[in-house]
Amino acid sequence: MVLIRTKVSPMTIKKDDKKVFERELEDYRDQVWGCARCNWCQNQWGWSVKSAEFSEICPAFHEYRFFPYSGMGKMHIARAILEGDFDYEDAPELAEFIYTCTTCGACEMNCQRLQDKEPLKVNEALRARLVRDGIGPMPAHQTLIKSVKHYDNPWMQPRSQRDKWAKKIILKDVSKEKAETLFFVGCTTALDSTMTGVARNTARLLLAAGVDLGTLGKDEICCGSPIARVGDRETFIALAKRNADILNKTGARKIVTSCPGCYRALLHDYPEVPGAAPIEADILHTVEYLDLLISHGRLILANEIPMRVTWHDPCHLGRHCGIYDAPRNILKAIPGIEFIEKERNRDQSWCCGGGGGARTAFPEFAAKTAEKLIHEAKTTTGADAIVTCCPFCEINIGDILRRSGDSMKLFNLVDLVAQAAGVNEK
Amino acid sequence: MADEAKKKVPHKKLPKQIYQALEYVVGKRWISEKRSLVETYSKLSIEGMTYVRKHMRDAAALPACVVLPNSTEEVQGVVRVCNRFGVPFIPFTNGQVFCGTTNAEPTVIIHMSRMNRIINIDADTMVATLESYVDYAQLQAEAMKLGLWNGGTPLATSLCKLSSQFAFAGLWQTDLKYGLLNRNIISVKMVLPDGEILETGTRCLPGAGDFWEYGPGPDLMGLQRGGAGSNGIVTEISVKLHPWVGGTELPEVPAGRPSLADVHDPAYDSPLPPDNHRLYWIEFKDLETEIKTMREISHSGIAIGLNATGVYSAYYCSQTQEMTWERCKNKFFPDYNCYVIIAGITSARQIEYEEKVLKIIVERNGGTFLSEEYKPEVLEALKPWNLDCIRHTSGFRMNRKMYASAWLPVGPFEVGKKTQQFWNDALNAFGQCDITDRGGADDTPFIYALQRGRFSFAETDNYPDPTNPQEITKAAGFGIYGMARLVKEKVCPCLMAFLNVEPLVTMFPEVGPNQHLLFQKIRKVFDPKSVNAPGRQVWTEEEWKNTPPQLKGMVNAMRQMVGLDKVE
Ligand SMILES: Cc1cc2nc3c(=O)[nH]c(=O)nc-3n(C[C@H](O)[C@H](O)[C@H](O)COP(=O)(O)OP(=O)(O)OC[C@H]3O[C@@H](n4cnc5c(N)ncnc54)[C@H](O)[C@@H]3O)c2cc1C
Ligand code: SF4
Ligand code: SF4
Repeated sequence: MVLIRTKVSPMTIKKDDKKVFERELEDYRDQVWGCARCNWCQNQWGWSVKSAEFSEICPAFHEYRFFPYSGMGKMHIARAILEGDFDYEDAPELAEFIYTCTTCGACEMNCQRLQDKEPLKVNEALRARLVRDGIGPMPAHQTLIKSVKHYDNPWMQPRSQRDKWAKKIILKDVSKEKAETLFFVGCTTALDSTMTGVARNTARLLLAAGVDLGTLGKDEICCGSPIARVGDRETFIALAKRNADILNKTGARKIVTSCPGCYRALLHDYPEVPGAAPIEADILHTVEYLDLLISHGRLILANEIPMRVTWHDPCHLGRHCGIYDAPRNILKAIPGIEFIEKERNRDQSWCCGGGGGARTAFPEFAAKTAEKLIHEAKTTTGADAIVTCCPFCEINIGDILRRSGDSMKLFNLVDLVAQAAGVNEK
Repeated sequence: MADEAKKKVPHKKLPKQIYQALEYVVGKRWISEKRSLVETYSKLSIEGMTYVRKHMRDAAALPACVVLPNSTEEVQGVVRVCNRFGVPFIPFTNGQVFCGTTNAEPTVIIHMSRMNRIINIDADTMVATLESYVDYAQLQAEAMKLGLWNGGTPLATSLCKLSSQFAFAGLWQTDLKYGLLNRNIISVKMVLPDGEILETGTRCLPGAGDFWEYGPGPDLMGLQRGGAGSNGIVTEISVKLHPWVGGTELPEVPAGRPSLADVHDPAYDSPLPPDNHRLYWIEFKDLETEIKTMREISHSGIAIGLNATGVYSAYYCSQTQEMTWERCKNKFFPDYNCYVIIAGITSARQIEYEEKVLKIIVERNGGTFLSEEYKPEVLEALKPWNLDCIRHTSGFRMNRKMYASAWLPVGPFEVGKKTQQFWNDALNAFGQCDITDRGGADDTPFIYALQRGRFSFAETDNYPDPTNPQEITKAAGFGIYGMARLVKEKVCPCLMAFLNVEPLVTMFPEVGPNQHLLFQKIRKVFDPKSVNAPGRQVWTEEEWKNTPPQLKGMVNAMRQMVGLDKVE
């Protein structure tokens, strides 16, 4: 046997300057070969494990129990595809492994922290590859994409419906006059009848706090987040560029959005889009802005809401963007509210199952994931209500509560703040 | 290689009839032979040559199918089908050390991922009974609620299930006081390769309780444990618990929790130790002083854990790969050091007393405590250990590159010096794979004080680039050289039974002596059809025939290099 003297190699991972949306699967080769099989993408960060029952973190692996559903599995599938080990002979199942991921980012969080690798980005690159090769996205996602292309929203709603939620509220139209703050409502909050109340309460609260507020009205377009998540890069990149131009043209100094998906897209995804203009305004999620307004005394929460509640961290707001404290500060500022933390919270929060296109393509899996969240909220907090602030989480969790007739209540934080401030919809 | 030149890796499946028989046992949902699914059960982490085989597109690295049983009965059912049809099977928890050959025939992976329940924690007898997919973090979390714990955790707290550790290792931070996992197992329930059930210890009489490791007759558990794999599949494992005084949960990190945007901020890696626990870091001028002091601390009876971390601190405590590398290069962490974990188990004054004893010993030997006054920046960087000393989490960063081969010799504390000397020789002969390979050559090997300091183990490892098969092969060569050198120099080369990995079992007949012959007999008794975990412990003649001659050549080359005879 001849031993080969090789030169000392520096680090495994070659980090490059490419933007995320121009990175191909090939750019992750070092990472996927280097997956340590350490399993931390499936489990709570070790120091945070508080019980056996709630020690896992990947909703897909928790449900299906086979490795390809986990972040680790994606690394190994990516490796084999990259090396050309197999063709797409099991394409339907392969697509299922890749698309049952809710893009919650839990694997990415723990893997980044421990192994400095990016299993979620690898999965998103895999999705892009499947789209390129005609295997992805899932048929149900095609409807979303078509809708965005035709109507600028994923819900097949005509553009004329977009500002219907604001009929009784007087707001500046930023295409006609300048406003310091632009309320970027988001497709789901603006168009889903169960969510439009949140849009109105947001506007009422901001106006009550004296914010110079405007919207894009019917001209607001989808941020592209759902399209980015399912791997249609071409459509997303076009949308992001268009949107960045529209937003910059308004001259607003702040953009506030109700939706963690939009928030993450504007804050973190757009800067990773090659050729997209940087957004000039500060980008805030509603809860961040409300927290500021409350702490500066511009919103007074005087009405008592006697209730024991727990907070569900939406993945795209918490893990992805680091907004953990603002909603907790607000809940603690509402008189009468008793706030109890769920066992898994903040960076280690359990996803509701509603994101990443998982609910669209795998509604049963999304429902089960939400059931698990409700179960955790009940058993580890004894709360009367779950509070959150993401339209996707709210719709997904709300569906289960309605279907099962569960006594657990669900609130959007904005609605509670509006009630405490006395500006809510009667 | 150009894309078009790449050949696909063929996937050998089971005959339909056998697949259906397995499907009947576990149900359609819990079996799969999909190509991309089996792929995730193939490439393996801890053993270099399996990576090389993956690079070489060896089809044998792919299993035929994966089954997910949910109970001992289902495991039994799967095993019986495999037996009937002569199909090999491999119990699989996470696949970290799924090493050796995957034989050429289609193989069934029995993934234990659905058997993840804690069956019982008996606070009276201080015994926890777990299904095979329960990990250390889960066990600790539940036991802590009752004022108990199992001792420490391996570096890979949640990857390591206690059952796979039964079959492989079980080394912790607190081995000084509590001993390795194998000193803590009370009993197991195993499905033997022919489908029979074996229950060991007092639980062998149903209803008698599960509190003592010895049952009637010979120690059947002893016969099963250790080595890479055992003679069957553990479906339940019972382990000892000990008093825990650190609170019902580990404390939150004062800086809070990270997000993806700031995940590498060291503030999130700076926890405080649990209540009633303290961690001390001591620097020494050389290995001699380090070893002498470690021996004295161990024998004094104080402390629950005592280990020297050497270059590994650069991994555990660095938030990015670049930082790890920088710190290795710049020797940010002391070359010779150890940490001591003290727990106030009986009272808070126990800490006070043990600290006094520790200070006397360290001062007498000329060691220096890291403190606010002495190297505070190093002490700050070492903070992940405040919780890792109880529940390893950041420890697995050592596998950021590839942990391809390791030397794990055990013996009196002096073994650390021998490791250093032999490792230096190996580096001189072969050259480095990675900058961190020099760990143990220019500084301390990773030394664990075991069993109250009766002996220790001294680890050094290779970290080749996983994308580079040549470098991995070289690293594997280091591992084999280590075995040969240690055997030649009469140093116990294994922690638990590390030689129980083929081809080393058969190709080092000095051990045992001729342990392979005994193992072959044992294997025949438990596994007459040779279907259990091919490649584990000892190979049959058939398996030897399937072994690539290069591998035998590699072992023989190393044997001859250190002055041992070639083995045919
Ligand atoms: C970076 C790194 C650090 C490590 N640090 C430590 C450490 O500090 N302490 C320590 O002790 N170990 C350590 N290890 C080794 C560790 O013990 C093993 O990696 C771990 O036990 C493997 O678990 P697994 O689930 O991946 O095992 P697998 O590879 O799935 O299984 C290991 C072996 O056991 C067999 N097996 C699996 N499940 C069963 C079962 N239910 N019944 C019978 N046999 C079974 C398998 O067939 C295989 O032979 C480390 C490994 C790495 C890579
Ligand atoms: S955490 Fe990262 S390195 Fe570890 S198994 Fe998961 S993907 Fe692989
Ligand atoms: S992003 Fe979430 S659902 Fe997807 S693989 Fe990672 S942990 Fe699982």
